[in-house]
Amino acid sequence: MRALASFLVGIVVVLLLRSTALSAFAARGIVLDVLAFACVVWSLRHGPAWGCSFGFALGLCGDLDAAHWLGRHALVLTLLGYAIGRLATTLVRESARTQFVLLLTATVIHQAWAALFELRGWNAMPQLLTRVVVSALATAGVGTLLLMMARRIVGGPLFGNVSVQPGTAR
Amino acid sequence: MGGILPPVERRTGALVATWVSVSLVLLLVGERVPQSFLRGVGATLFAPLDRAVLVSDRLAAAWRENQQLHQRLTELELENGRLRDGAREYTRLREELALPRIASSPLEPLELLAMSGEPIPASATLSGGKDRGVRDGQVVITRDGLVGRITEVYPFSSRVSLLTDPGVSVACEVESTGVLGVVRFVTSPTAQLLFTSVPFTDTVKVGERVLTSHLSRRYPRGIPVGRVVRIGKDPTGLTQAIEIEPAARLSRLRHVFVIAPPPDLETRK
Repeated sequence: MRALASFLVGIVVVLLLRSTALSAFAARGIVLDVLAFACVVWSLRHGPAWGCSFGFALGLCGDLDAAHWLGRHALVLTLLGYAIGRLATTLVRESARTQFVLLLTATVIHQAWAALFELRGWNAMPQLLTRVVVSALATAGVGTLLLMMARRIVGGPLFGNVSVQPGTAR
Repeated sequence: MGGILPPVERRTGALVATWVSVSLVLLLVGERVPQSFLRGVGATLFAPLDRAVLVSDRLAAAWRENQQLHQRLTELELENGRLRDGAREYTRLREELALPRIASSPLEPLELLAMSGEPIPASATLSGGKDRGVRDGQVVITRDGLVGRITEVYPFSSRVSLLTDPGVSVACEVESTGVLGVVRFVTSPTAQLLFTSVPFTDTVKVGERVLTSHLSRRYPRGIPVGRVVRIGKDPTGLTQAIEIEPAARLSRLRHVFVIAPPPDLETRK
């Protein structure tokens, strides 16, 4: 019950952030991909089953909010959630470098997939590539920094040692 | 396969397969799902939360704006007196020339709660819906210019398609010369607001203001849309592609006004 509540609260918080504070950045050309960030963090913490479910629910809400084809975000975030959840069992999840690389990869995949739907011709390619790269670097940088700050505030590991399987009690 | 994998792995695999299948089905038939209704439910649920998130930002901005608005109010009161004289003369002259009256629309102020669409916001949620008399097709403006058009109305909120929605196009004219064209937002190759369908025989200069034109069925005439910043060629090579900077600051919207669309062309006659 507690997990489900945090699942719903997580989705609401992400969508709120996306439609209020982060939309101002997006309008200035810096897309902080909070969907990818949340999906990575959730999957690292809770493992593949919760990761893919969270990715699916978050993606579906994101699709509805953006008023475009349903399933566009849902599909890619489901797969990302699952893949990162699986990787979480073998990675040092508390490492800032690991988090940076995961956030960078997830954002590149998510943004590139979203950009594919906007591609109208090859001359738009450099612009879209720039957006994907800027978004990935910004999200990975800010995301890693946020996780480091959260670790400081909590005063302990956020995801637990590699020996603690994601999704199990901590 | 089922026998090789442990039960937890099998359950996770089944879960992923389910979500992926649902996503793929939605990608194929998502257009037929009643999205407007679902968005309406979402907008209604999220409206109080959006307000709560925005309250601190709004308070600080309101404090700053208060002083500026007092000064502006005084300036406008003075200007209004002069304009009222001019309007009386203008109305009398139009009557003498047997031209139809130009009606002014009442302004319905609404708060902007959230923006959506990526990478650049293409739509926004407003704080009023059917409860405030908002109707589909009404025009949304700020004191600076055109913002967009109401496309979905829910019981307590509504959705406006912004000028930055690639699906929105506005019949416009250049203020000083009356050159006609269509303003639309394009995302490819670069995201920009373009004043299109302007033949090469028409001269447009950088810095000129672009307003909604009398040819528009959806927007009243004379609302500022933007200012010309660059003049280029359309990819077809047949017309000019003029980049304009939006008059309304779309990335800093807080309050907007909803006005009625123009009367239908048939009823105008």
